[in-house]
Amino acid sequence: MTQRFHILLAVLLVCFAAVAFSENRDTCLSCHTDTGGAEAITFRNDIHFQNGVSCADCHGGDPSAEDMEAAMNPAKGFLGKPKPADIPAMCGTCHDDMRQDFEKGIHGTGLKNNSKGPQCVSCHGIHNILPVKNQLSPVSASNITKTCAKCHSSVDYMKQFNPGLPVDQYEKYLTSVHGKRNAEGDVKVATCVSCHSNHMIFAVKDPRSPVSPMKIPSTCSHCHNNSKYMAEYKIPTNQFDDYVKSVHGVALLKNSDLSAPACNSCHGNHGATPPGVESVSSVCGQCHQANTELYDKSVHHVVFQQQSLPGCVVCHSNHLVKPPTDAMIDFHPDSLCGSCHSDQPDDKAAPVIRSMRATLAGLTKGQAEAEQVLNQAEQLGMDVTETKYSLKDVNQSLIEARVKIHSFAKEPVSESAAPGLKVIAQAKEAGHAAIKEYYFRRKGLGVSTLLLTFVVVLLYLKIRQIEQKSKKS
Amino acid sequence: MTGLKSKFTDWIQERFDLSQVTHFVSEKKVPYFRGSFWYYFGGVSLFLFVVQVVTGILLLMYYQPGAQTAFESVHFIISKVQFGWLIRSIHSWSANLMILTVFIHMFSVYFAKAFRKPRELTWYSGFALFGLALAFGFSGYLLPWNTLSYFATKVGTEITAVVPIVGEPIMHLLRAGSDVTTTTLTRFFGLHVAILPAIFTVVLSAHLLLIQVQGISEPESWKEYPPEKKSFIPFFPNFVLKDVLLWLIVLNVLAILAVYYPWELGQKADPFASAPAGIKPEWYFLFMYQSLKYLPAKIWLFDGEVVGVLLFGLAGLLWFFVPFWDERTPKGLRNKIINYIGILAVIFIIAMTILGVK
Repeated sequence: MTQRFHILLAVLLVCFAAVAFSENRDTCLSCHTDTGGAEAITFRNDIHFQNGVSCADCHGGDPSAEDMEAAMNPAKGFLGKPKPADIPAMCGTCHDDMRQDFEKGIHGTGLKNNSKGPQCVSCHGIHNILPVKNQLSPVSASNITKTCAKCHSSVDYMKQFNPGLPVDQYEKYLTSVHGKRNAEGDVKVATCVSCHSNHMIFAVKDPRSPVSPMKIPSTCSHCHNNSKYMAEYKIPTNQFDDYVKSVHGVALLKNSDLSAPACNSCHGNHGATPPGVESVSSVCGQCHQANTELYDKSVHHVVFQQQSLPGCVVCHSNHLVKPPTDAMIDFHPDSLCGSCHSDQPDDKAAPVIRSMRATLAGLTKGQAEAEQVLNQAEQLGMDVTETKYSLKDVNQSLIEARVKIHSFAKEPVSESAAPGLKVIAQAKEAGHAAIKEYYFRRKGLGVSTLLLTFVVVLLYLKIRQIEQKSKKS
Repeated sequence: MTGLKSKFTDWIQERFDLSQVTHFVSEKKVPYFRGSFWYYFGGVSLFLFVVQVVTGILLLMYYQPGAQTAFESVHFIISKVQFGWLIRSIHSWSANLMILTVFIHMFSVYFAKAFRKPRELTWYSGFALFGLALAFGFSGYLLPWNTLSYFATKVGTEITAVVPIVGEPIMHLLRAGSDVTTTTLTRFFGLHVAILPAIFTVVLSAHLLLIQVQGISEPESWKEYPPEKKSFIPFFPNFVLKDVLLWLIVLNVLAILAVYYPWELGQKADPFASAPAGIKPEWYFLFMYQSLKYLPAKIWLFDGEVVGVLLFGLAGLLWFFVPFWDERTPKGLRNKIINYIGILAVIFIIAMTILGVK
């Protein structure tokens, strides 16, 4: 009896085990593995599989059905291989926030307009999706640039979406400090997503983009202003604080002047690198062309090169470029010239500095004096609008003369100032003439009033004489 | 000197008999009484008209009509032409003073009842001259093509459009189109320097001729006076010399105004800009403009503005025909209703003008 009971118990256990085994079995995975499907094999390494996400969770169908037709029955929600355009929606059933970000961005728009556009699997892979922190993931810090380059370095692919967009970003990136370090395995350095963001990527011209001109400084400062993060690189972290206070930073960030330079204007963007001593003037010369041309021919260019000094930066600084003033050209301690030169007979530059300073002062003071004279004439009611308007030409001379300072010679500065000084002289003359005319008019009025009064009195006397005569008669 | 004068007179006399003219002038008398001062406003108006003609001709040497040239040429006149500022300022000031003296002259004639028989035609021609003077002012105001004149002309011509039936065609005729443009400017220029002066000269000649032929009106009270109680002064030289004396004073006032308060040119008109706030017509149209503002949007079934414009038209017509309806009043000689209407009109014009200026 006891033996029969033990046999029955064993049979029951085997039956329960068989039933239990058959209920947990994923027929999608088993069949596709049995038929040698690569996706089924790689899916076992996928983060989704490891977290219990089955094939049917994405593709639908009945993973418990033994029969293939029953398992892949559309009536049971089987989707099969999704179309590329449907993938974001499919992934979005779980990753909804990422789907929303993706659809807002330029990649989402690209996919909407063209089914060849990027979607989730373009970057993350298909059945072998790994966590971002896994170095083997195509979106890991080590691989993301290559992943982006798959499309962004392909002329044929990119011209379907934006024929004007360059395709050399990856090549440039490899030459940058960021790229070189990344290639060496440094995962802290900036990659594509560090600046462009990941799922919600906008075009550079879109003000929402972290790489739009107004946002570039804060995007770069995200790392470069973080002294803790940058400690191991041993480079300063005050660039952003300096830039914000600089003439460039104020123009861009306060005055919203999009023509003002941001970090990438001088350092490059994908090929970001600090300009070397040799190339500083060329970098500044991208915008300040005339200044650079003059500087390159000047005595300072030669001397600075000999002493390995970084050109424009010597006087103007790099990130903290202050608005230039005429006071910079002087010998006092706060002036620029005075930091190297002195007003001594043995300093050959002293007469040049004095001359340039005097020329600029001649223009600014002369302009103010002429304006004062013209205002005085205007207050007296004289019409000097034309002369006042002509005085604007002085500004042109002043701009030119200030640029010519970069020749570090007195003649070019004087030549540029000459037309302005002429306008000032003419304006002053016209102003004085108007004031003189004002007094002439009043004197003229006085004389004519006297004459008229005299004639009126004579007439009155004559009338009285006639009236008295007629009364007598 | 006397010999030369008599030689010249003889030379003329041989060719043209001046005896009738000299006799007429020597015999002509002007009533002399306490209120005869008002007689001089006619002469002052005439003098200011002559000033207008002379300065206008001088301005014509440099002025160029056209949206691109009008403002610039006036600016050139006041800034570059020798004494151009003086001529332009005197032209503008004398235009305004002339309208003021014409107003005073018209009301003095009205209150003196000098429009009564046989001087009805003098009154009609005088009223026509008053209308022409206003037309001179309105057309001349646009010529510098500055912001104020442009928008004031726009508003002024718009008002004519409210007159039923004929309003719109009149506005189109004035503007030479549907809006105030450079063609309006050239049209106003033509009116100001050719058409109006021609008509004005004819009407003024008739007005002066009537005055000379009929003589200057005697005060109403003199009709009851015996001849010995009436006092006269010779037209020449007494009255003429007094006229000249006043003209010289007016000329000096003009010079003072031109030097101390030169007429501003303002900003060039920009037809695409919005009208500046508080745009108003010239002071002599201000009483009408201000009255229209006080009218409600609807008066019974009609638009308030239409009623206002028609009422002003009717008032002008009644004023013009005052010699007719004055004769029909029963009291005859001492018609006080005429005085009351006149006083009301003066108070109304002054009050509305002051309110309009504020």
